[in-house]
Amino acid sequence: MIWLWLVPVVVALIVIGIFVYFMNRVIILSNRVDNAWSQIDVQLKKRADLVPNLVETVKGYAAHEKQAIEMVTKARENMLKASDMKTRAKAENELTQALKTIFALAENYPNLRASENFRLLQEQLEGIENKIAYARQFYNDSVLGFNNTITTIPGSFFAGIVGRSKPREFFEILEAERAPVKVQF
Amino acid sequence: MNRISFYDQIAKNRRSSFFLSVIVFSFLVVLIYVISEIFIPELSLLFLIVSMIMVFLYTYGTYNYGDSIVLAATKAQPIDENDPKYVHLVNVVEGLSIAAGVPKPSIHLIESDEINAFATGKDPQHASIAVTTGLLKNLRRDELEGVIGHELSHIRNYDIRFATLVAVMVGLVAILSNMFLRSMWYAPRGGKRERRGDVGLLVLVGVLLAILSPIIVRLVQFAISRRREFLADASSVELTRYPPGLANALDKIMRINRGDMKVSEAVSHLFFVDPTKSPLDSLYATHPSIEERIRILRAM
Repeated sequence: MIWLWLVPVVVALIVIGIFVYFMNRVIILSNRVDNAWSQIDVQLKKRADLVPNLVETVKGYAAHEKQAIEMVTKARENMLKASDMKTRAKAENELTQALKTIFALAENYPNLRASENFRLLQEQLEGIENKIAYARQFYNDSVLGFNNTITTIPGSFFAGIVGRSKPREFFEILEAERAPVKVQF
Repeated sequence: MNRISFYDQIAKNRRSSFFLSVIVFSFLVVLIYVISEIFIPELSLLFLIVSMIMVFLYTYGTYNYGDSIVLAATKAQPIDENDPKYVHLVNVVEGLSIAAGVPKPSIHLIESDEINAFATGKDPQHASIAVTTGLLKNLRRDELEGVIGHELSHIRNYDIRFATLVAVMVGLVAILSNMFLRSMWYAPRGGKRERRGDVGLLVLVGVLLAILSPIIVRLVQFAISRRREFLADASSVELTRYPPGLANALDKIMRINRGDMKVSEAVSHLFFVDPTKSPLDSLYATHPSIEERIRILRAM
């Protein structure tokens, strides 16, 4: 009765298949979270690269706005040298705010606003600002997908086997960003 | 819940694409065999083998190059992505690609005053988005984001693979059947008396195929679109987090579009909204009504 031997073989194959599928699933989702995180970094790096350009352009037209220019430069430096996630998030946020200030100030300098270079920088920075937001959104979506998988059955079981059972952290908006924008004159 | 349905949709599209290829493959082989059986019965076996090879190559080619065929059929031209005119379009596509977690598709432009767009390709790694000049002219940034988000959802969900296969494969079935129906008038009559009964049967089958194929086209187009469009609308909102953008875009389309784009019926189901309005619309519509899409978006 050769087919009787086949039964345990088939069952074993199915069990192996299930294990491979779910263990891969957990690892793929976990890698997706890592990848999503690096996507945010890519955009932040691009933004940081554009800042010196912006500073030079603004200096050319509005040199006496020292305070705002310094704020941007400092925020960028802080961001580049930040070591842990918390201080970096804070510096990133400062840079975002500082850039907003610069663009608000630019309203007072028609020559600056009219400059081709400035307009292009503004569109590029706005585009990057959006991309940062989208990258964070994708990161949070990926985290949600991963956390849902590893905290529910059967994912929780397999996450333990591959050693990735710790839920990942969501990217949260800082308190400062949540507060309504203050306008100062 | 959301995640599950999105992976389900990808699996379903992969499956449907495979079965569609098998069905079209068999259909074409049978059709060619029937035709050769009528006209040159002595060689029909040879024809069967040759046709199987040809049709296999055809199916394989459509799978890999279907997007180029669709882009050519709609006269979509690739844009120069460094042109300042298109900076905001490129930025929107790049941003939403990041949000959807797919590589940035290549961007194409169609010369038309209508507001419309479509996406095509075999998978997210080989995808293209095409928009009309009318869309660029009339939509604000948030509305543009809604439409691009919709198209990127089609890309992420592999809707583009199935829809492109339907456009190219079924399009050809329709063309072939038309040719067959016309050639019937020139079929040899009474020459081979000994096989007359057979020929009569084959002619009947041929005519049936030819009559059936436009209906098949309709049925397939009908089957693929509606649910997908609602799902892509919902996914677009998931990406942009802003339902009014897409709803306002649809609203503008209702007011501005005249529905007179010159595109083949075989590709119309790919578009964001139906590019042509025909009297048969309500019966065979490949798209859900714009009013209903707006109603659902406004309720989000």
